[in-house]
Amino acid sequence: MSDKVVKQAKDLDNNFRYEISEKIGAKSLLKCIQCGVCSSGCTVTEYVDLQPHRVVASCLLGLRDEVLSSNAIWTCSLCHRCTERCPKNVDYSFILALLRNMAVKEGNVPIEYSATINTIYNNGFVIPYTGGMKTTIDRRRNKMDLPEIVGPNLDEIQFIIKETGLGNLIKKAEEDEK
Amino acid sequence: MEFALYLGCTIPLKMPHFEKAFREISEILGITYKEMEGAGCCPDPVATQSLNIDTWLTLGARNLAIAEKLGLDIMTVCSGCYETLKTVYVLLEENKAAFDRVNAILGKLGIEYKGTSKVLHFAELFSQDEMLEKIKSKVVKPLDSLNIASHYGCHLIRPSKIMQFDDPERPESMDKILRAIGASPLEFAAKLECCGFCARLQDEIGMNLVEEKMTELKDLDKEVDGMVAVCPACATQYDRKEKMISRKSEKELDIPVLYLAELIAIAFGVDTTKLALKQRAVKPTKLMEKLKI
Repeated sequence: MSDKVVKQAKDLDNNFRYEISEKIGAKSLLKCIQCGVCSSGCTVTEYVDLQPHRVVASCLLGLRDEVLSSNAIWTCSLCHRCTERCPKNVDYSFILALLRNMAVKEGNVPIEYSATINTIYNNGFVIPYTGGMKTTIDRRRNKMDLPEIVGPNLDEIQFIIKETGLGNLIKKAEEDEK
Repeated sequence: MEFALYLGCTIPLKMPHFEKAFREISEILGITYKEMEGAGCCPDPVATQSLNIDTWLTLGARNLAIAEKLGLDIMTVCSGCYETLKTVYVLLEENKAAFDRVNAILGKLGIEYKGTSKVLHFAELFSQDEMLEKIKSKVVKPLDSLNIASHYGCHLIRPSKIMQFDDPERPESMDKILRAIGASPLEFAAKLECCGFCARLQDEIGMNLVEEKMTELKDLDKEVDGMVAVCPACATQYDRKEKMISRKSEKELDIPVLYLAELIAIAFGVDTTKLALKQRAVKPTKLMEKLKI
């Protein structure tokens, strides 16, 4: 990022702001006044390549590729202080989730995230609960006199994951593991 | 008082001792539960929401529909689950298009989501005035010798437009509960700082956040006997990372981290052999000695 990035007006994605703002909970994007309250309260502000107010500015300017390939959208700790403190009620933490969704659709997914949905797909839980793991967990619970775990309905969970469009990701996570 | 009990994944699978403490104190308080059979991950508010909001909403609504069938409101024991399920509930109530989209998918499974079961976290229920009185009345071992730091965590109270519980900048619920069991809650600058567990891609973030908070607690004028959390992710984060930091540096960070239900269980006189209090990286040895347990 040391080189100065110069973009011509014709290279900006003028529709990017509306592509985001038309999604549920994201209309507030258009109200940003660039005051920087979000960035000053942000838990991870010193770790990101684009601070929150600059991510919003970049969305409004139409810097689509820069936003969707930034580490900022994935570095968020989900503390929600940005959303809480924004004087214009911009729901930044939710908008950031939408931006991650958009990055995923373009094939940009950190392995930590795709691995999680793969675990949920295969176990119903976010923690492996099959085979030896299941035996250990069940034994430990039994020792503590806790009720048996009635397992999640895997068919339903797998159907929903595929039906909402994450089927491809499941395959990808499986391949990555191999 | 009866609820549908939503345990999530981390507590029943990884921290069953937290669940044990919670079930014990519930029994003493006369709260009963129906188990949510077939429920799965809430799903987690970090990865699933990041990958696809519709997947997140639909899996969440499927869990809520299980409680609806039982005709009960939902009790959660983890702030991550609380945030996911409550956000799903509020978003689907506010957004008809999303409500219809979710139900179109659930309909193919013969499930209907109606939005009739409310979502609570036990910190929310326990901090209500009537409940605080009840908690006080059940204390057999007041913790009046203990200075305790409460870690609210982010997802319990924010975003407040969704969570609609406690003050997002000056929360009091956990401190009220601590006072009800006789303990002295502490005021400190980093009280509302995030634990960093959800910043998954850079481990350094969590390490720094844990080090900052725990160092401040060690440097307070008063001796801190422990920290309590109401989320298994926050609790594990502080417990494991402060141990790691102590090993790597000259700092001796040794403040034990307890799940709030565990501390309540001690105050209620629950047999401590049932509680597995030493099952953590930083053992609460001094705290136990102080309480003679």
